[in-house]
Amino acid sequence: MYKNLLFTLLIMAGMQFLSSCAGCSDSGKKSQGDALTLPDSLISDAPLRLSEEIMNEVIGNISSPVEMAGLFKNSGVDFTQRILNNPDNVSRYETSYQRALNLGVYSADLGYINTFDKNNIVVSYLLAVKNLADGIRVGQFFDFNALRRMASSSTNLDSLMEMSQTSFNKMDSYLREQNRSNVSSLIVTGAWVEGMYIASNIVRESGDKELSDRIAEQKNVVNILEIILSNYASDAGFAELVQSVEDLKAAYAPVRITTELGEPQRIEKDGSLIFIQAEVSTVHYSPEDLENIMATIENIRAKIVN
Amino acid sequence: MKKFVFSLIILLSTLSATTHAQCNESVKKAVLELMGDAQYIKDFSVTLEKAPNEAKTGMVRFNVLLNNRNHYKFNVANGAANPDGIIMQLYDKDELLSSNFDGGKKYAGFEFVCRATKVYQLVFSFAGGQEGCAEAVLSLVKQYSEGEMNF
Repeated sequence: MYKNLLFTLLIMAGMQFLSSCAGCSDSGKKSQGDALTLPDSLISDAPLRLSEEIMNEVIGNISSPVEMAGLFKNSGVDFTQRILNNPDNVSRYETSYQRALNLGVYSADLGYINTFDKNNIVVSYLLAVKNLADGIRVGQFFDFNALRRMASSSTNLDSLMEMSQTSFNKMDSYLREQNRSNVSSLIVTGAWVEGMYIASNIVRESGDKELSDRIAEQKNVVNILEIILSNYASDAGFAELVQSVEDLKAAYAPVRITTELGEPQRIEKDGSLIFIQAEVSTVHYSPEDLENIMATIENIRAKIVN
Repeated sequence: MKKFVFSLIILLSTLSATTHAQCNESVKKAVLELMGDAQYIKDFSVTLEKAPNEAKTGMVRFNVLLNNRNHYKFNVANGAANPDGIIMQLYDKDELLSSNFDGGKKYAGFEFVCRATKVYQLVFSFAGGQEGCAEAVLSLVKQYSEGEMNF
């Protein structure tokens, strides 16, 4: 009897070892299988023009609410809630397509809110994020209660920002591991558009040069978004979004980005290595170019949230 | 015999727990501490396994979009069982821009002042194609205005 038990345990040991090693590189790849696939038209039988592997590489970190939010704060313009998407709008978003796009929109709003320490409204936005994430079956990455506890204390707002950002990154990785890059691409697009929309509003109010440059510098990102979204253009919703991005690409056409090469610098300071890039890029655009880009962004954003 | 079977069960449980935790939670916690006061942007889990196909196992690459006038920090923490410290390098296509292995010395990370918005490649590898795991984090140290960029 012990011999059989021992044999079984050894087999289990082998399986355990193999599964724990596999977990290092493919964690969660097959963990929940079909339970989290989308039920509606986001999934298409049409062949993808780019493989999932390449999509993963392309998506990267296109939109970082942390970086945009920092620029918003540096502009000196006061926080304005009216420019954000109202969390009450969540009930309007009934399809997975709308939910994924607006999950991205609210994630950018959340970054803006966190940066200005507006903990009185952060919970309603966290709830909106949680509802939309549940709606596309990725709600498990948001520990709503922990986030709400953090939001209740102003001393925890940095941690809140980090935790919500970590949650979004985990969700994004999970979606891509599950070959749901289509959903991930919508979230990324929604976040990017909302970041640009908030930036446009601030530029209109303040004429902030840094933010204006940042908007103009996104020319290359628009090209990346076009590549990503075109991959799913056989879906009607995606096709409409691709058309919008193509309009934006046209608005960006007059923008020129030039580069010149300097000397790279290496500084060792307090035991840390600091490298200063040799290449220096400069963006060239006219006020009319910027106005045209901002108007196009506002138009796309209106289509997403309404 | 009973004792042996019991010990094996305990050993299996421990092995399972440690192999999962080795390069996940504890190492991730360590790298987040290295980040210091910088603002978290994104983390990267790296696992390199030795296999006959060296091209596939020798390195792992992530694409990152970095923005002009931003000062970034890249930190890395090694798994306890790593034979050597992992090498983390930032490339712009084929051009090496920065590395935590510099002047024959390995650092826990590096900082990078970006002056051109584009997609860069963050590459991780071990000397000699060894296997191991690591956790890395990208964070934001500072955003410079145009006037502050005259280094």
